[in-house]
Amino acid sequence: MQPNLPPQSSSLVVQPSSGQLDPFALLLHRMINRIRQSLELPEILSTTVAEIRAFLKTDRVKIYYFHPDGTGEVIAEAIHDRRLPSLLGHFFPVEDIPQEVREQFLHLRQRSIVDVKARQVGVSLLENGDAEIKEEIHFRPVDSCHAEYLSAMGVCSSLVVPIVDKQHLWGLLVSHHGSPRQITERELQVVQIIADQVSIAIAQSNLLNQARIQAAQEATINRVTALLHYTPEMQLEEALKQTVTALKGVGGRLYIAPQLPHQPPQFFTYGNQPLLLEMGQHGQAEMAERWEKDNPKREVGQQNIFPLIEQHLHWQTWLDMEEPSSQYNTIWAIADLCEAVMPSDLAMAFLEAQIRSLLVVQLQYRRQVLAYLTVFRQEIDVERIWAGQPDREDRRQCRPRQSFEAWRELKRGQAHPWSAADIDLAEALGNHFAVAIHQRSLYQQVCALNADLEQDVQKRKQAERKISALNAKLEQRVLERTMELQKINEELLRQIAERERALLERQQAEASLERLSYQNELILRSAGEGIYGLDTQGKITFANPAAVRMLGYQVDELIGAWMHTLLNHSYPDGTPYLMTESPIYATLLYGTVQHSSNDLFHRKDGSSFPVDYVSSPILEQEKIVGAVVMFKDITVRQHIEQIKDEFISIVSHELRTPLTSIRSTLGLLAGGWLKSHPEKSQRMLEIAFSNTNRLVRLISDILDVERIKFGKVTMEKTICNVADLMLQSAEIVQAMAEKAEISLSVMPISADLWADSDRIIQTLTNLLSNAIKFSLPGTTVQLTAHAIQDVEDIKNHPHLPVPPFPLPPPYLLFQVQDQGIGIPSDKLETIFDRFQQVDASNSRSQGGTGLGLTICRNIVQQHGGQIWVKSKLGAGSQFYVALPLSEPSEEG
Amino acid sequence: MTRCILIIDDDPDIREATQLCLEITRGWEVITAGSSNEGLKKAISEQPDAILLDVMMPDMDGLTAFEHMQANPEISHIPVILLTAMAQPADRRRYTQLDFAAVITKPYDPLALADQIDSIFKE
Repeated sequence: MQPNLPPQSSSLVVQPSSGQLDPFALLLHRMINRIRQSLELPEILSTTVAEIRAFLKTDRVKIYYFHPDGTGEVIAEAIHDRRLPSLLGHFFPVEDIPQEVREQFLHLRQRSIVDVKARQVGVSLLENGDAEIKEEIHFRPVDSCHAEYLSAMGVCSSLVVPIVDKQHLWGLLVSHHGSPRQITERELQVVQIIADQVSIAIAQSNLLNQARIQAAQEATINRVTALLHYTPEMQLEEALKQTVTALKGVGGRLYIAPQLPHQPPQFFTYGNQPLLLEMGQHGQAEMAERWEKDNPKREVGQQNIFPLIEQHLHWQTWLDMEEPSSQYNTIWAIADLCEAVMPSDLAMAFLEAQIRSLLVVQLQYRRQVLAYLTVFRQEIDVERIWAGQPDREDRRQCRPRQSFEAWRELKRGQAHPWSAADIDLAEALGNHFAVAIHQRSLYQQVCALNADLEQDVQKRKQAERKISALNAKLEQRVLERTMELQKINEELLRQIAERERALLERQQAEASLERLSYQNELILRSAGEGIYGLDTQGKITFANPAAVRMLGYQVDELIGAWMHTLLNHSYPDGTPYLMTESPIYATLLYGTVQHSSNDLFHRKDGSSFPVDYVSSPILEQEKIVGAVVMFKDITVRQHIEQIKDEFISIVSHELRTPLTSIRSTLGLLAGGWLKSHPEKSQRMLEIAFSNTNRLVRLISDILDVERIKFGKVTMEKTICNVADLMLQSAEIVQAMAEKAEISLSVMPISADLWADSDRIIQTLTNLLSNAIKFSLPGTTVQLTAHAIQDVEDIKNHPHLPVPPFPLPPPYLLFQVQDQGIGIPSDKLETIFDRFQQVDASNSRSQGGTGLGLTICRNIVQQHGGQIWVKSKLGAGSQFYVALPLSEPSEEG
Repeated sequence: MTRCILIIDDDPDIREATQLCLEITRGWEVITAGSSNEGLKKAISEQPDAILLDVMMPDMDGLTAFEHMQANPEISHIPVILLTAMAQPADRRRYTQLDFAAVITKPYDPLALADQIDSIFKE
C-alpha cells in the first residue's frame, strides 16, 4: 500500500539537470530515492543513516529518538569500520540533553557542529521566529561539559540535526567522527534536506502506523462487533477475549449489572482475575459458601465464585475519585494500581493476581450504567541498555559522562500504562459492548418474553392437548359410562321387571299360598275325614276338627301324644297292632303309602270305630319328616254295605224263591213224571204260573223302586182333582176289599193337586191294598183327605197329625186308616224300607213283594211330600201322605 | 227201603213242588213244615232220614234251626241239606263251614235234588 504522502516542497525536490549534474544533487537524489523506497520507518532510518554516513564519510551516523519520558534511544545507526562503538539500542538519560538545548532544537531548528579539538561549536539556526532563514554557521566555544561528553564518547567531531515532527522534537540525526572533521555548509544543507525527508517519512510512517493501528482497532472492533452482533446469542466471552487480547491485557472481565431487582448479575471473565477476599477477614470456604448463598443463580461464564469487585461497596466510589480518561467520564485508565487511590482490599486482590493496570470502561446506554468492562495488565519488566552507568553521586549529571560502556538496566514490576489508542479502542469497544448488552438485555427480555410466550404457548398447547386428551378421555369415559349406565339401566329395568314379575309371582304365589293355605285350612276344617300329622317318632303334630271330633279328644290332648298308644290302633277283629306291624309306622319308616280298611281306632271313651285310612309320608327333600294320616269313620259305610249285602241277599232270595217253585214244577212236568197224574200236573202248572206272576210283579216293583228312587221315572205332573184321585184308587181296590170282606170308606174332598195322577193313585192303591190285606174281615178301611191351607188350619184340626219333617202349608194330607192287626213299634221306621215286611210269609201270601211301601215313599218324595205311619199292634194303622199344594209354576 | 224226608220251608209252593218231586221220582215219604219251629218238632217226632232246610224263614232262620238240631241229640244225626236262595259267595263260605250234608242253591233242579239226596243216603 502506498501511503498517501504529503506533497514535497518544490525547494526540496532535487531534479537532476540535464548537462552538468551537481554531485550533491545526484547524491541527494539517490539518497532520497533510497529513503523513499520503503514505508517502514526503521528501514528508512537505517537507509538514512547509512546514506548520510556514506555521504559524510564519518565514523558513525545515528538517529537518536526521544521517548515521551524524555530519555533518548539510538534507534538507527551506521558505523564505519568499527571506528566508534555501536550505540544502537542504547538509552541515554534525559539529563544528557538539557531542556534548553531541546528547546533550541525544536524552536530554532538549531543544528550544531562540534569540533572537540578546536573546542568550538558551529551553530546554524534554521528558524528564528519571524526572522528569515539564515543558514550560516556561527562558531562559538563549545561548552566544556559537552566537549568532555563527546570526548568520553571518543568523538572528535559531531554534527547534530534535529528531526521535528509536527512541532515536536522527535529525534536527532547525529554524525560522529573519531577524528576532527569539518562540516561544510553544503554538507549541512544536504543533511538538513535528508533530515527533512526523514521528518516527512516519520510523518508518513506515523500516518501509516496510525492507519495501521486504526485498521487493527477497526479489525478488532469488527471482530468484537461480529461476536456481539452477528449471532443471535452474542459471544460475550469470546468478545471479551478479543478485547483483552487487543488491549494486550492478561485478563479482563465483563460485569453486567442486574437490570431488574432480584436478577443476578452476569459475569464473564478471561485470563487473570482478582480474588476479592472480603475485608480479608473470612476464609475462602466461608466466602464461597456466602457467595453461593447470595448468588444462587449464576450465569454462564461465571468462573469466580467469589464476591465481584464490581459489587464492592467502594468500587464506584473509587472510580469517581480516579481521574476519568474520557470526556464522558466513562473510562478510567489506571496505569499503576500502586499509585491509585483504590481501597486496599481491592488493590490487594488485583495485585495478588499480578494485575498492575486496569482499564475500566463503564458501559452506559442512555446514561444507564449497564456493565463494567475491565481489562487488566500485569506488571512488566523493563530492560534498558543505557549508554553508560549513571553516576550515583552525580544524580543531576552535572559532570560530563566519563564512560559510555553499555549498561544493562533491568526494572522489574513496572506498570504497563494504557495508551490513548488503548483508551480509544476500549471506548469504541465499550460502546459496542454497551449497545450489544443493551440489545442483549432487550433480546433476553424479548427471549424471556418469547420463552414465556413460548412457554405459555407450549403450556397452552400442552394444556389444550391435555384438555383435548382429557376431553377425549372424558368423552370416552362419558361414552363408556353412558353405555355402562345404559347397560345398568337395561339390567336394572330387566331386574326391576324380573323383580316385579317375581314380586307379582310371589304375591300371586303368596295369594295362592294364602288361598291354598286358607283352602287347606278350609279343606282340613271342612274335610269330613279325620286328618292328623305325625312326626318321625309317631307323635301327633296336628289334627283337623274332624279327627278331633271322631276321636273325642281336644286338640291339645292330641298334639304331642303318641298316636299308636292313644288311638290303640287295632286290627278289624279288635287285636291291637304291635307298633312294628302298624302300617302307619311302615310309612314313617319306609316312606310307603299305606292304605288300610276296617282297622279300628279307639276314642277317648274307649269305644272303637272302624276306619279306612291312608298314611302318606311327608317328604322334605326326599327325607321323611313325618306322615299324614287321613282316616274316615266307616261305621255308616259298613252298615250301608251290610244293608246292601242284605238287600242283595233279599232280592236274590225273593227272586230265587218263586223261581224255585217254577223250576221244580216245570222240571217235573218236563221230565214227564206227571203224565199219569193230570191233577197234579194241573196243580204244578198253577203253582208255576202263580210264581211266574209273582216274579213279574217282583221284577216290576224292583225296577220301579230303583227307577223312581234314582229319578229315572219322571213324574208326569198335571193339575189333578183330589176327589177323582181318591175315587179312582178306591175303585181299583174295591174288588179286593169285597173279596176280603172289608168295607171301604172314601170321603173325597174337592181340591186341586199338582201331581202325577197315576203315581198318586198307585200310592193310594198300595196303601189301601195293604190296609185291606192286613185287616180282618168285616172291618172298615177309610180313605180321607184334608187340605191344610195355613197354620190356622193345623190349629183348627188338632186331631190331624203334623208331618214328621217340616212342611209348610198349604199341603194336602191323605189318611188311610184300617182296623187291622197293626204294626209292631219297632217296625214303624223300617216298613218303608225294601223287603221289610212285618211278616214276609204273610205278605207273600198276600201277593206282596215287600217293595210297595218303598215305592210309595219314593213317589211321595218325588212330589216333595212325606209319608209316615201311626199304628198300635192289634189296634189298626193310619198311613199319612202329605203333599204340597203349591203352584205348578213355583214348583218349576 | 222207604226214606222219609222232612222239608222245612216257609214258601208253600216250594214245599208242594219239592214234596211231589221226591215222592214221584223216588217214592220217598215226604213230610213238610212251614216254619223252623214246626220243622224242629216234626224232626224230633218223625225222625226223618234227611232234612231239607230253608234258610230264610220268618220265625227262625235256617241256621239257627240247624244249631238247634245239632244241639239236640235226638236229631243231630240226621243229615241236613240246606236249601238257600242266598247265592252270595260269602254266604256259601259261611254255610260250608257248618256241618251240613249239602248246600243246595235255589232254584234247584228237582231231579238233581233227588239225586243229591240219594248220594247222601249212599254215603
